[in-house]
Amino acid sequence: MSQPFDLAGRRILVTGAAAGIGRATCQRVASMGAHVLAVDRDEAGLAALLGQLPGTGHASRMMDLRELEEIPAAMIACAEEGGRLAGVVHAAGISSVAPTRLLAPRHYRDVLAINTEAALALVRGFQNRKVCEESGGSVVLIASVMALVGSVGGTAYSMSKAALMGLARSAALEYAPRGIRINCVAPGFVKTQMYEKVAASWDAVQREQIERAHPLGLGDPDDVANSVAFLLADASRWITGSTLVCDGGYTAS
Amino acid sequence: MTPELCTLVTGASSGIGRETALRLSQHGPLLLHGRDVARLEETRVRCQHPERHHLWPHDLADLAGIERSLVQLLAAQGLQVARFVHCAGVLQVGPLRLLDRGAIERTMNVNFLSAVEITRLLVRKKINEKALNGVVFVSSTASQFGAKGFGIYCASKSALDGYMRALAVELAPAVRVNAVLPGAVRTAMTEHMFEDADVLERMQRDYPLGVGEQADIAAAVNFLLSDEARWVTGQQLVVDGGRTVNITG
Repeated sequence: MSQPFDLAGRRILVTGAAAGIGRATCQRVASMGAHVLAVDRDEAGLAALLGQLPGTGHASRMMDLRELEEIPAAMIACAEEGGRLAGVVHAAGISSVAPTRLLAPRHYRDVLAINTEAALALVRGFQNRKVCEESGGSVVLIASVMALVGSVGGTAYSMSKAALMGLARSAALEYAPRGIRINCVAPGFVKTQMYEKVAASWDAVQREQIERAHPLGLGDPDDVANSVAFLLADASRWITGSTLVCDGGYTAS
Repeated sequence: MTPELCTLVTGASSGIGRETALRLSQHGPLLLHGRDVARLEETRVRCQHPERHHLWPHDLADLAGIERSLVQLLAAQGLQVARFVHCAGVLQVGPLRLLDRGAIERTMNVNFLSAVEITRLLVRKKINEKALNGVVFVSSTASQFGAKGFGIYCASKSALDGYMRALAVELAPAVRVNAVLPGAVRTAMTEHMFEDADVLERMQRDYPLGVGEQADIAAAVNFLLSDEARWVTGQQLVVDGGRTVNITG
């Protein structure tokens, strides 16, 4: 472990790459030498990102993560085109604020598909021997503190994120013999477009309450990207099935 | 005289503490704590830039003596502590009925109360100005689970984690406070457990990524102290090769 924070030459797939935590993760891992495979459904966002990444060997791919059956096959195609993967980061996610009584299946289907089921499809795709490097690799799923605490209106989002932790625990055991590590990062409230969208429904008092609930203040996407990078790198080679909470002290208080 | 900012590592004379010291020594001066001066000196010479590190020999079981010893040393050497890593720990395994009060007190003092005493001193302006900005406690997965003969050890580590969370809230945003929870790592403290062939075999079966190395823990401590973790506080980071999520029979 001479260079525990190095990702030189490692190919890392990042979903939700065009914005927020996904975008910050791409920039962070590229600066550590990784070759980024940026996945999103926002074509213009992907093109803009690719133009800004440091280093070489980056690529992008348009994907609609709701097409779950297509994810593993698309990953095989990517590996055949550009080389096998050393890591996957599932940062794509959509928010949901709705009272439970309104959560008919059609109202939470996309939340569960993109936040949760796509993560399972990504793990299935990654473990394929044509996709994952022979020595193994690291999968990081972006969960949320909403997986650990609750909020009125957060039912669909909370359940979609909590499921990731269960997924990580059991899949981590299954793939440990092959050197594949699977962990979650659980961020608190981070200043992203998604946060602004959710916060738009709050009044000034609610906004201030949320900010005060984070002893270190609201987070920046880079803060979360740094924790993701730690879990991708060899510095965390003995960490699997685990959740790293990165929340400015939100859940401690 | 401008005080010199350093990182205090307790339990640096062996095991995870020593490995953590070696790992952190590239970043700046260390204050290496341990009971045995000769072994501390050995840690110091193995560090990068050995000449810039300081030694604090003290037995943390002597709780009442910590204040005088630490305060004098900081003043005499012109040091302030910016970061504090508590690695010192003792493990005495045995059924409750065979434990004497002395062993219980020793475990609670070294593993938990000394961390309270040291942080209490390091947040006092008269002693350490406002130098402190990061704290990491090396706890254990034993803070979350039970095991036969581990009652007091588990209690000491649970207490440490409870204190860690409250301290993180109280001292934010100036100081970040976190814990690393290692699974079984082969060190001098745990060596007696690994000598038993049955235990070793069980460990290898129960740890999906195998038994860990001291460097795995040092890397996690290094991360939590670094600016990369600037929004992480009040957290327990489990580093255990998947052991605690494994209920496969």
